[in-house]
Amino acid sequence: MNKYLPALKMIGLLSFVLFIFLPLIQMTLLSFVVTLAKPDANVGSFTWGNYSTIMIDPNLRSAFVNSIAYVLINICITVPVAIPAAYAFSRMSFLGDKHLFLAFIAFRITPPVVLTLPIFQLFSAVGIVNSVFGIALAHCLFNLPIAIWILQGFISAIPKEMDEAAFLDGYSRPRFIWKFLLPQIAPGIAVTAFFCFMFSWVEVVFARILTTTNGKPISMAINALFGFQTDIGLVMAVTVASMVPGALLLFAMRNHLSRGFKIGQV
Amino acid sequence: MKDHNNAGWVFVLPTVLILGFVGLIPLITVINYSFFDIFILESRFWVGLEWYGGIISSGRFWASFGRSTLFSVLVLTIQIPLGIAIALCIPRRKFWVGIALAVVALPLLVPWNMIPSLWLSLLNPDTGILGRAMTYIGWSSDWKLSISLTWLVIIAMDVWHWTSLVVILCYSALTTIPASYYQAAAIDGASPLQVFRHIQLPKLYHVLLMAILLRFMDSFMIYTEAFPINAGGPHGATMFLAVDLGEDIKAFNYGPSAARSVLYFLIVLSVAWMFTKAQGKLDGGQSS
Repeated sequence: MNKYLPALKMIGLLSFVLFIFLPLIQMTLLSFVVTLAKPDANVGSFTWGNYSTIMIDPNLRSAFVNSIAYVLINICITVPVAIPAAYAFSRMSFLGDKHLFLAFIAFRITPPVVLTLPIFQLFSAVGIVNSVFGIALAHCLFNLPIAIWILQGFISAIPKEMDEAAFLDGYSRPRFIWKFLLPQIAPGIAVTAFFCFMFSWVEVVFARILTTTNGKPISMAINALFGFQTDIGLVMAVTVASMVPGALLLFAMRNHLSRGFKIGQV
Repeated sequence: MKDHNNAGWVFVLPTVLILGFVGLIPLITVINYSFFDIFILESRFWVGLEWYGGIISSGRFWASFGRSTLFSVLVLTIQIPLGIAIALCIPRRKFWVGIALAVVALPLLVPWNMIPSLWLSLLNPDTGILGRAMTYIGWSSDWKLSISLTWLVIIAMDVWHWTSLVVILCYSALTTIPASYYQAAAIDGASPLQVFRHIQLPKLYHVLLMAILLRFMDSFMIYTEAFPINAGGPHGATMFLAVDLGEDIKAFNYGPSAARSVLYFLIVLSVAWMFTKAQGKLDGGQSS
């Protein structure tokens, strides 16, 4: 039994990877095929045209810019706000901390569709619909709790003696966080930013209701491609292109990924 | 162990403000709307609990509720054990760990509205890899007409999309086990099953609780992915809770959709409460 275990594990992992790849291979294949009759190409023949369309089409280009913009804004809000909160949950006990954590969890698991209508009204009243800032803010609803959870794991892994030594040297808590804690949890910040990117990049419900005329992200630009005659090859090419930034980040982060979710306790 | 210090509130204040703005204010708005009959936002009539009564007593709500529950149960019974198994299969060598995790995480990067399209094109009998393979072996029934096959497709899609998250979570918990535990187990001659039962599984409890919470809620309220597969069909057999709510919102039924939202939020709240209870039990039991 023990002798065959590594081989069994290998087979298990490889068949799962094959399962993962199957739809992705399908997507990549289709993205190189002409799927809508054009004067200069037959349906079913090989083409680079779908990818060059992305470069030419101003809507698609601006969609990529919008997506990158709102994800970056979201990370710039989420990470600095989550760090002190994660520190507080990790190191201090305060009145109502357990209830607060429950509330945060509840907001993370609240389906976006439940809050679409009032968030749209609220954001139009404040004047941040149809802008990347609105989407970035709305995505804090699920990214902030996750960010706090990930960062808390990283902060809890740092011995508490470090805090105390710094306090004895006369550092205040905020100065301690800035001078000592941040460099220590730098990988944690990168992991947090990556997960914020990931959950925000692919989200659709908020992105749809908050961008009716302007500021459409990639997912909505893809939606706009569906119509009476859908050029599925182009759709797949845009999807492949939309996965490239994430895949590059994923590859760069691969050795830190698994460290993101240490056991969180409050 | 932790300092008792109410200054903690100062540190969480920015988070509270942001979540208050994007979460709490909309929530209160929804609760407010749910008691009114709203034709246009300027003129509204107090109807009390009428919308709630209507939803609770409708067979449609309970049918959707049942379908969503069944879907979540099926998804959890597949994804959690599969996620643990794959996490255990990930090789020990550092070089391959990163590659394996990165590859496994790829489905998480696909925009959600494209996931049904990917699977539909995969199953397309003319152009899809799986679709053509099935035609080739002579098995070319139209799955869209069959309730069980439509369910199978949606579940396969969800397993494909989200098992990776369970794998990453479980693997990160497994890396916290000190090597000395395994050495001790090897000296005692423990079988792989015993190692799993007594060393690995206990380390997974916390992370599994989180994985179950995230996967339960997200599958219970599945919205973007499920509908385009078969438009809720055949005969409404894949109409889930969130799809009903989406229909209400698209029809601008402010009152009923608000009441529905509040009901769903109550479900969310009770699940979150059970989660913190369970977490408290784990902490108490292990007192680590």
